[in-house]
Amino acid sequence: MKKTVRKIFFIWEYEKEEQWLNEKSKEGWQLAKASFRKYQFESGIPNEYTYRLELLDKNPKSKESTSYLNFLQETGIEMVGECKQWVYLRCKTAEGSFEPSNRALYELTHLLKIQEFISKIKNRLVAVIAISICGLLIMDNLAPSNYADFIRGVCTGLGLSASFFTLAFTPFSKHINEKVKAAINELYTCE
Amino acid sequence: MNNNDNKVLTEAVFYTLLALYSPLHGYGIMLETEKMSHGRLKLSAGTLYGAISTMLEKAWIKALPSEEDSRRKEYQITDLGKRVVVAELARLEELVENGKKIIE
Repeated sequence: MKKTVRKIFFIWEYEKEEQWLNEKSKEGWQLAKASFRKYQFESGIPNEYTYRLELLDKNPKSKESTSYLNFLQETGIEMVGECKQWVYLRCKTAEGSFEPSNRALYELTHLLKIQEFISKIKNRLVAVIAISICGLLIMDNLAPSNYADFIRGVCTGLGLSASFFTLAFTPFSKHINEKVKAAINELYTCE
Repeated sequence: MNNNDNKVLTEAVFYTLLALYSPLHGYGIMLETEKMSHGRLKLSAGTLYGAISTMLEKAWIKALPSEEDSRRKEYQITDLGKRVVVAELARLEELVENGKKIIE
């Protein structure tokens, strides 16, 4: 049996998304394919697979990522979906090879990638805000016309949504920073 | 090996280097490590991938020229890698010796 679920998770909800997929697995719904906001499940043995969302350095199709994904595949971890640089990985729960011996280091590697990703997005958002403000300033100095009103509307819309997302990212980057500190603290005592 | 003198190897790296005294591919390293440690040390693919990339960069191991199936790369320890293992073993012996001296 198959079912398709449409659901939106924002980037800062990646842990919630992962949890949701693992809960579905416990209910016997195994994710078979995933893309942006579309999840295809197949009914299977409850808890057969464990899922993990991972952020790659580069696009999943790039040479570096392919070599990494091939390596994972050799060890029984398969990719069931992708969304930009994020990949949906799964492995048989019984084999449990997601559980790393060096948890802190593994976490840290992943968290740093996420931080890089966040700052890249934030930089873009800030650029959009700056351009919108410039647009508004220029339009204010032009003679009023439908055209100027239209541009002003676009700039306001863009600026506001970019500001909203910039703010929305703040608690997420704080959360990631705290996790980085926790992982580093763990590294002080255990490898 | 000057800059490797004071390095402490991680358990994963130490076992991986030992496993690579004979050529192995990635999954083989994971199996061999688990066998050597009697099931205690289970490397995750992510950790091992990172360790292998770093050790290749440091030339402690090398990738063997792959045959028809280029997906499965085999690796082997280098002479430099062997020296790193010997130095680490001496350090570990010191730990054991001092531990025993105090406890016994």
